[in-house]
Amino acid sequence: MNYPVWYLPEVGGGMLMAIIAITHVFISHFAVGGGLYLVATEYKARRDNDFQMLEFVKKHSKFFMLVSMVYGGVTGVGIWFTIGLIQPDATADLIHTFVFGWAAEWVWFLVEIVALLVYYYKFDSMDEGDHLRVGLIYFVAAWLSLFLINGIIGFMLTPGEWLTDGNFWSGFFNPTFWPSLWFRFAVSTLLAGVFAFFTTIFISSAKFRHKMTRYSSLWCLGSMAVVIPTGYWYLKVLPSATQEIFSISPTIANSVKVGAFSTAAFIVLVTLFTLWKPAWHNMVSALLVAICALSMMGSFEWIREAGRRPFVVNNYRYSNGIPLARVNELNQGFLANSKWSLVGEINSDNLTQAGEELFKFQCYACHTLDGFNNDIRVRTATSSFNAMVKYLDKIHDRRPFMPPFVGTAMEKKALAAYLVGTLHGKEVTVEPHNHAINLGQHLLDEECTSCHGSDIVKDWAQGMTLDQVKQGLLSLSTIDASMDDYAGSVSELEALASFILGIPPANVGRPVESVDGAAQFNDECTMCHDAQTCFDWAVDKTSNEISEGLLHLSQISSSMDDFAGTKAELEAMTEFIKKEAKGGTQ
Amino acid sequence: MSLVPTPEVLPIARGYFDGLLLLTFPLHLLLMNAMIGAMALALWAHWCKTPVSERLAYQLAKILPLLIAFTINFGVPPLLFTQVIFGHYLYSSSIIMGVYWLSVIPVLLIMYYGAYLYDFKFWNFGRRGLPILALSGVLMLAIGFIFTNNMTLMINTEAWQEYFSHSGGLFLNLADATLVPRYLHMMVGALAVGGLAVAVLSRLWQQKDAEVAALAMTSGMRLFFYATCVQVVLGVWFLLALPANVMMLFMGQQFIATLLFIVALVLVVSVLLTAWKKRLGRCAWLTVTLLYVMSFMRAVVREGYLNQHVVEQTVATQHDYSPLMLFVVTLVIGLALIAWMVKATLLCREH
Repeated sequence: MNYPVWYLPEVGGGMLMAIIAITHVFISHFAVGGGLYLVATEYKARRDNDFQMLEFVKKHSKFFMLVSMVYGGVTGVGIWFTIGLIQPDATADLIHTFVFGWAAEWVWFLVEIVALLVYYYKFDSMDEGDHLRVGLIYFVAAWLSLFLINGIIGFMLTPGEWLTDGNFWSGFFNPTFWPSLWFRFAVSTLLAGVFAFFTTIFISSAKFRHKMTRYSSLWCLGSMAVVIPTGYWYLKVLPSATQEIFSISPTIANSVKVGAFSTAAFIVLVTLFTLWKPAWHNMVSALLVAICALSMMGSFEWIREAGRRPFVVNNYRYSNGIPLARVNELNQGFLANSKWSLVGEINSDNLTQAGEELFKFQCYACHTLDGFNNDIRVRTATSSFNAMVKYLDKIHDRRPFMPPFVGTAMEKKALAAYLVGTLHGKEVTVEPHNHAINLGQHLLDEECTSCHGSDIVKDWAQGMTLDQVKQGLLSLSTIDASMDDYAGSVSELEALASFILGIPPANVGRPVESVDGAAQFNDECTMCHDAQTCFDWAVDKTSNEISEGLLHLSQISSSMDDFAGTKAELEAMTEFIKKEAKGGTQ
Repeated sequence: MSLVPTPEVLPIARGYFDGLLLLTFPLHLLLMNAMIGAMALALWAHWCKTPVSERLAYQLAKILPLLIAFTINFGVPPLLFTQVIFGHYLYSSSIIMGVYWLSVIPVLLIMYYGAYLYDFKFWNFGRRGLPILALSGVLMLAIGFIFTNNMTLMINTEAWQEYFSHSGGLFLNLADATLVPRYLHMMVGALAVGGLAVAVLSRLWQQKDAEVAALAMTSGMRLFFYATCVQVVLGVWFLLALPANVMMLFMGQQFIATLLFIVALVLVVSVLLTAWKKRLGRCAWLTVTLLYVMSFMRAVVREGYLNQHVVEQTVATQHDYSPLMLFVVTLVIGLALIAWMVKATLLCREH
């Protein structure tokens, strides 16, 4: 839109970000906790005159420098490069909002480098007190780096008051700032122990190796005791919308499982191999512990990133870069307002090309094409063209973690044509089909649902007679001054009121086209799952049970809406499912 | 419709960011030049096989990872302030050459670890360490080439049309007439200033190993002198390669640009004279000044290009200077801590 899209359909931006970000986050947290580990262990060694321990600290500081300063420093710049490539709009938000926060973070990065170089290269020659002070300066600088970056990362998930006042400090000290800071700090000291396990392997004296392995395991387990409550605190302060996303997003559900399993495995491995039996500790156990820690950290970061969905900056910018404030404007013509689109106006010759452009600008931020992550070809395999158009209409309602489609009705059809026609070779009919839509439903969609959900209308009408509903529609301004009184024809009023009350169209004297159960089924169901799943569910059910089931789909899965069509549509679809279910099992 | 994206609102007046960019970018350049010069001289010294040159190569091997660390670190502020003012150009060009731009990161990692390997295993590897250093050197030059590509592409907005046939990020700005002279100007200039930096560093080794210090001094100054002579030719090439409207800014069309050009010419003659007379201190200060003047001229070139595609950049109506104060206070504290650590290091060195 505002920026070009770096289009690598098989790879996807998310995968690039995950590869660089998760490893960087892992190392950069180690850079904070590891600093405390070094200086605390050196202090202990000097206090106890333990030369073995002092030698260990020196060796560990070399490993620390090569991992945290080189890999951590370079991948930190790498994240910056990556987000600029895959989320330029959001990067610009972060840079312009927090430019002096970033600049201050650079100062601490510089202090860290100087301190670490002095700490390592002057380990033997510097005055003991000064050397400890240099170590302490390193740790404080690293912690302050975390302090600053934590405010900026937290802003993306919970921008808080910044959304209304645009103030630097409102965004920085956002609602998740404090729990996130202490959670991350505890994770960093945990990782200090994890990385020390690699250095302890190379200690030649068995007795001292066991001592340092056990010492490092206490760092891990002690930190874990803080990680769990602060993690819980963090979850509790998240906004309800984010918590709702947590409960319905399938990728988050998977990440939660991975995170929980990794945490349990981490505790078991550390307790068994490093605390209880340090003699069993070797490169394999060190690697396993590190993999569990990486997996824990990766799950957390993935969940945090996914929890922002459908936004990249919560309630400000959608994950595909579209600013919330421009949605209405862009609904008048997304491609015409996109600087970097090949297509401006859609015609019959460029329909699918326009659809591909729309895919790039609106879907590709999260979906690959034939790639590993969220492959759009797999996700759209079961859909027909009409089902896709209908799905795009309600995409955000059905899946709140996905942004709404932004653009005109024709652009929506172009995207559907690309997703269904180009990717799957299915039939594309751009002319609107109305076999499943009766006049009442059409009017409700057109007149009411642009401002509020149809549920509100149905709730309002509950218990009312047809005449009362009609009267109410004619005096909508008395319910809310922002609404206009209904001004359609008498027959339209009749159809709308009847639809609201769930009275089949035939009963109100307006002929409708016969309902096609198969088309109805395709439109309603196959976008989210394949047909056979539904037929298998229906195979041993009676027609009444199928109808009841369709009316209460949300009880089967919270991600499904209860069927809300007319009686005739329900009957047609039930009949179709019943018939196919029998055929499907024979 | 112009392809130039709509920029974000600036939090405070643009002048602050211009000032910070012009202040910090030459510092990054100085370190980058020292890094490239140290790399080139280490390669030469190791190649020479004499005991003194080998000891010089070792001293340079020890200092090279530190120069890389500080070059990266001091690259952060100018990249940050560039993104604030020119982010809408830079993000677009970076995306168009996305594969190459992102490849800077793995290439940098290999180069950095290569330098550490060369340092830590210098005596173990002996001459087998040379290919490792050479690889790091080639990667350094490759990173420079990618940066020059992006810096030329971000101001050459006509070339952005290539995106419509290269949306996978596999485009390089090779057709740009300024690319090669600009790249050579940067790299040969880096060799020159890097040579001078090694000559300055030779003073650190004076007491420990006078022979190494003497070799570093002569070879560094020689590299500086000859590379600067080549640089004069490359500078003329680069100037002539610029679009006429940009070049003419330095030829009297814009007062500041012309003044900068004249001052730069005077400084070039001065540094060559002082280098010839082996007046190290004076030559070093004049070179730092020249580097600042050159980077100001670079900013004039960028403005000259972008003036053809002006996109209005608005400033926030309510200026909040408290974040700027956060940065200033942090910088003061940080510099004080660094000063204390340097002092403590020098003290332990004396002891």
